[in-house]
Parts: sequence; structure tokens; C-alpha cells
Amino acid sequence: MKKALLLQVFCIGMVTTVVGQTYTDATMMKKNEICIAMMYEQGTWDQYWEGTNLITNENIGTFTRSTYMPMIAYGITDKLNVLLSTPYVSTKSDGGQLAGVKGFQDVNVALKYEAIKKDFGKHRVSALAAVQFGTPMTNYLSDYMPYSLGLGTQELTGRVVGQYEFNKMIFVRATAAYVWRGQTEVERPFYYNNGSYYTTYMDVPSAINYQAVVGGWALKHNLRLEASYTTLNCLDGDDIRRWNMPQPTNKMEVTQAGFSAQYFFKSIEPLKGLSLMASFNQVLDGRNMGKATAIGGGIAYQFTF
Amino acid sequence: MKKIISISLSLALIVVSVSSCENELPTHFDFNSYNFSDLDVDGGSWQPILLSSATDIELAAPAEVNSAEYQAELSALKSATQNLTGNQAEAVQYWTNNPIIRWNEIALELATKYNLIPPPNPDGSYTLPTAANPEGPPPFPFAHPPYTSRMLAYLSVAQFDGLITAWHYKYEYNRPAPYVTDTDIQYAYKKNTLPSYPSDGAVIAIVSRDILKAMFPLEHAYLDARAEEHLNSLIWSGSNTASDIEAGTTIGTAVKTVALARASTDKMSAAQTPRALSDQIKQEAFDRFGWAWDNMEVPVRPVGLTPRFGEVTMWSVPNVEDVRVPVPPAPGSPAFETDAKELNSYAKNISEGQRKIANWWSDGLGTYTPPGHWNRRTKEYIVKYEMNPLRAARTFAYLNMAIMDAGVACWDSKYYYHYPRPIQTIKGFKTILGTPNFPSYPSGHSTFSGAAAEVLSYIFPAEANGVRSWAREAAESRIYGGIHYRFDSDNGLEQGKQVAAYTITRAQNDGADD
Repeated sequence: MKKALLLQVFCIGMVTTVVGQTYTDATMMKKNEICIAMMYEQGTWDQYWEGTNLITNENIGTFTRSTYMPMIAYGITDKLNVLLSTPYVSTKSDGGQLAGVKGFQDVNVALKYEAIKKDFGKHRVSALAAVQFGTPMTNYLSDYMPYSLGLGTQELTGRVVGQYEFNKMIFVRATAAYVWRGQTEVERPFYYNNGSYYTTYMDVPSAINYQAVVGGWALKHNLRLEASYTTLNCLDGDDIRRWNMPQPTNKMEVTQAGFSAQYFFKSIEPLKGLSLMASFNQVLDGRNMGKATAIGGGIAYQFTF
Repeated sequence: MKKIISISLSLALIVVSVSSCENELPTHFDFNSYNFSDLDVDGGSWQPILLSSATDIELAAPAEVNSAEYQAELSALKSATQNLTGNQAEAVQYWTNNPIIRWNEIALELATKYNLIPPPNPDGSYTLPTAANPEGPPPFPFAHPPYTSRMLAYLSVAQFDGLITAWHYKYEYNRPAPYVTDTDIQYAYKKNTLPSYPSDGAVIAIVSRDILKAMFPLEHAYLDARAEEHLNSLIWSGSNTASDIEAGTTIGTAVKTVALARASTDKMSAAQTPRALSDQIKQEAFDRFGWAWDNMEVPVRPVGLTPRFGEVTMWSVPNVEDVRVPVPPAPGSPAFETDAKELNSYAKNISEGQRKIANWWSDGLGTYTPPGHWNRRTKEYIVKYEMNPLRAARTFAYLNMAIMDAGVACWDSKYYYHYPRPIQTIKGFKTILGTPNFPSYPSGHSTFSGAAAEVLSYIFPAEANGVRSWAREAAESRIYGGIHYRFDSDNGLEQGKQVAAYTITRAQNDGADD
């Protein structure tokens, strides 16, 4: 459900996966099924990469980004789902005097299509394609990093997902995505990006995102556990200059490992359709972004319309 | 599978079509060669800034137009202007017939590149940039607003004096433009009757290159390359022959020597004081007023930015204390509390319009600074009013002398009063702009802008309302940003106006208004 979200949040220093997962996983809603979810994630860091150099800045101290993400998904058909999410973000730091911000970030809508689903005995192969569009919901200022709510640009993501499930118990999944990003309008008429720019527009670099997941089912198929390894690399952009503020033109890169769990109350009749989610993610390596540790949780309810 | 292909295809189409909506982002001011509104034929008689008159620099008469020597130059020029490569044609288009504009942009770009504050060392100390070891780290210079104001002043003054001298000899020797003598020579720009010896373009290229090399010692190779392209463009465009350019080079070299001699004795090298002197300046202010500014960064920067910039030699103001701002309200006084309350109200609830104003004029670290912002607007007016290079240089010279004088006056007051910033006086106060490393009162943005707007109002009277309202907006922007009190901005703006009055009096008497 939340790939685009995931990416944006990524790039400004934290990672969302609890929610982001729906955009990248191989799970499909059946026709007329609806899933509503509310997710929360909090990412913190006290070190960031200035270019590729990991530094601390006591005038930022510990930086915290909190994301609340309501989401809804709907099965148009068994093979085509639509997803919609609108994160609300707040940022703050405990060092220095710069004010944090809060507000709605971007609205994201995605179509997810299951192209292949083949069973070989107890094994299953599936392949999906998704396209996702995100655009700022409010006139937030992208050029206030790391505090800004998001990158303030339109974003179009094309994604492919492939999954192999053994015995309906263990699965491996790989995804690849191209994230096209446009320009963001900022509030200053001049900036430096390895040279002068006389404009209020900044090019926000597009990115490539890969993810590998190993997962399995436990507790009589009520608990899904996943371990993930994710990279997101901007294709161009400049580095944060020495002891300077970051800006949306920066070439952001991140490698992170994560773990997530989702418990489905399938077997408890009054709670049928309900599930709880939890996640943990750690940025391992990066460029022009914070070395964030994120924890998240969420609740989802799925029913037929 | 078919569906996957069609989805991928339509996705690709969307990406392509959305991408094509993106704006091409401008890296310099886009304008073409234009007809000058006036040639200022008597420009050689104007009063220069550093020279006593245009004839301080001697220049021999050029060869006669019908001499074999000059005819050979013309034929060399003719062949050089034929069959330009793509890069050569692009250079001609870029430099235009008013290259003052381009060198101003190059100066702003270098200011932006070098406007980075030194970071702390791992042990919490700070190493300051030094001209003795420009590579650093940190690299020299830190092109903060005082540094940039001074850099722009020397650049513009040297260009102005160089062009007054060039104009003098142009009309003394009256060598026609190459395309007048040889009608087969293609001239790339708008034709006029300006004599071609010495080359005004070469004067500009040489003084600009050499002033900027002195100001940005790590950029010699870059500046040499820019100047070389500029000088070549004078040939490729059919503007000047070799002897025109050589004569321009002679003038440029002589003028930059005079300008850099002044720069070496203007006391800028003492502006960044050692810790002991900085502490003494602070103690004196505390004894005088009972308050003192503290740097609030972690680790604390032991010395503020250029405590003695207020003692640097001014251009037009005889005594800096004549333009010192009045005593500000004491922290905690009713007048102070009124302005502190205003700051709290913006911190709590700022409108998008106010936020935009704060950011529009922020011009902080990593930017071309407020002096750069005003130079950028001035450049646009110069082209709008179709000024010739001499007029353009005069405009920048008075603008940047006023801006630097405003900076000197402002810094004198800043360290005399040593007034604490809002983040120091208001508990728990948060801002949307970074607080600079120097005392609050008065606001530098306001002083720079007040001075700039007055000079521009004098030179472009039709734009007076617009530029004055910009100055007011720039002053307000610091209040919205949470880094200045209203009394900082109001008094800074007023101080800028007072400084500019000296500059304008000087300009009114240089002969250009006659």
C-alpha cells in the first residue's frame, strides 16, 4: 500500500514499511473487498550522511519523524486493486533552535495488478505490476530539510513484484521499481546545485528501488513474518555541502534492513478481518540522509463490501 | 503477459509525457545583445572612484586604420569570425555586448560556492579559513555577507574605473569598429558608433578575472578559463581586433593593481578578530549597556563573524559613527516585550505568505547573500533600461559601494551594541531560519537592503516604489523568520538609507548626470 510513501519518507531520513508494504507485497484483495488501515511509524536518527560522510550535528541533536498513515485498499476485481493513502507527518529535533513542522504530506493512489498466479502442487508463483502516483496534498515547504514533510513533487512509480511460496509456509519475494520524480517549487528564487540556479524550481532526482524479502507463516497461518533488505538510490543529484543544509536536489541513497509482523485474527469470529502490524527498520548505509532507526505499528480491518 | 506489456507501455508513456512538462531551469540571466539606450560619449570625463581621472593610465595611440599592421589584424579577425564552431557561437551568444552582467553572475556564483560556515572539529574547536592556506580545510574564503559585499564593491569599482578610462581613449583615438572599416566583417551584436580601441570587453575581462582571483584564490584556473573564453568571444563576435584587446588588457591590468592595493590596506584582514579581542569587545558592550550577545550553537563558536568589519575603510561615509543606529530597547523593557510578543505570534502561527517572504529573502549560508540578491535584481534593471557597459558598471559600482558601506556601518553597530538574538532572550524560542553568528541589532539584511533600494531609486527613478517595497519586505522577512526583532529591522533599514545618501551625493557629482 505504500510504496510511494515509503520512498518519500525514505529520502528525508526515515523509512516507512509497515504501511509501505502493501504497495510492494504480493497480497491481493478479492473483488469488492475493502481494507482500511491506520499505521504509525516513528523514525529517529542522531547521525546523517553529508554526501557519503557520516556526521553528527549537535545543532540538530536527535531528529524524530513521525508518520500517521491512514490507508484504504479496494478490490476492483480479484486481479486489480486500488490503494489510497494520505500520510500525516510531524518532525522535530531536540538540538538547535529550528522549528519542526507537521501536516498532511502527499496523497498517493496506486493500482496493483496480479498478472500471474500459478500453483505447482503446494507451491505458488505470482507476479504483479503496480503503478503509483503521489502528489502533495498541501502547500508544505519541501526546501526545509531535514524537517520538511516531503519532497514536494509529483511522483510516479512503476513496480514489478515476483514471489515464490513454498508449501504455503515460506516465501521469497523481490521487487524492483523506478520512481520518477518531477520538480518541486521552493520559496527562494536562487540556489546552488553545483552551479547557480535562478529559479524557484528544483529538480528532484528520480530513483531506483529494489527490495528482497524472506517471509513465512506461523501460529497456524495467523502470523506473517517478513525480513527485508531494501535499497533506494537516486539516479543523480548533488551532495549536501560541508556543514550546509540538505535540499531536495540531493542525491539520496539508502540501504536498510527491516523486520515486520502482521497478526490476523482470522479464527476469532468477532474479530475476523482484523489484523495488527508491527515493524522495525534500520538504515545500514546511506548518502545525504539520516541513519534512521524506525519502529512502527498499525491496525487493519478487511471486509467485503 | 499482454496486459503487463500494455501496462508497462502506458506507464512509460505517462512518464515521458509528464517529464516533458518540466521547466528548463535557468543557470544564468537569459538575454540577447541589445541596442544601448545611450553611448555616454563623454563617459571618459566622469570622475572615477580610485583613479584621479581617466588619464592616470596612459595608452598609446593605435595604428592608423589604413596601416598594413591594422589591415592584417582586420583580415585575421575576418577569418576568425567565419565558420564559428557551435561552442564559439554559443560563447558569443552568452557573453553578449554587455559582459558586465556575466562577470557579476560569475562573482555571485563564487560567493554562493564559498558561503559555507566552517564546521566544528572533532574536539569541539573551530578552524577559521585563512588566506595564508586557502585550501584549508576549511577553504578560503568564507564568503559571508561582509566578505561578499566587499568582493562585489572592488569588482564593480575596478570595472567602472577601467571603463571610464577605456571610454576616454575610445573617443580620443576614435578608431571605428572593425565592421565599419571592413564591411565584410560580421558583427554578432547590435551595431553602434562606439569606437573600438581600446576594447571595453577586454578591460572588463581582465579586471574582473584579476579582482576575483584575489578574492577567490582557489578559483584561478576557473577564472582564467572564463576570461579566456570572454576574450576569444570578442574576436569571434567581430567586436575587436588584437590591438584593441591588447589595449584593453593594459588598462585592465593597471586598474586592478590600483584596486587591489586599496583592498590590501582597507583593514579587512583584521576584521575577524582573535578570541581575546572578541571577548574584550563583548565585555565593553556589557559594561556599556548591561547585555551581550552569545553564540547559541553547539559547540559554541568562540568568536562572532568579523567583529571588526565595522572598522574597514568605507567608500563614501567619512565616519562610521555618523551612521550608527540609536540605542535599542533593553531586553525586558516594554518596547522590547512588544517586539518579542510579535515574534512569538509568528512562531506560533505564521501564514504561508509570511513564510514565503522569510524564505524569499533568507539568502543565508550557501547562497549569494543579500548583497548578491540585490545585484541580481540590479542586473535585470540594467538590461531592462538597456544600459551600455559603462553605465552598467557605474550602477553596480555605486550599488556595491553603498552595500559595502552599509555592511561596515551595520557591523560597527552590531558589535558596539552586541545585542542578543531572539533565541537567546526568549525562552524556548524556535525559528524557521537559522540564526547567524553575530549580534542582532541592527539587521544586516535591512541595512543592506535599505542602502541598495535608495541607490537603485536614484538610478532607476521609475522603479523607486518597487525597490523600496522590496527593501521593506526584506527587512520584515527577518522578523517572520524569527531571527530579528522589529527594532532591528526598522533601524537597519533607516541606517541603510542614511549610508546611501552619502553614496548618492558622490554619484550625483561624478559627471554622469550632466
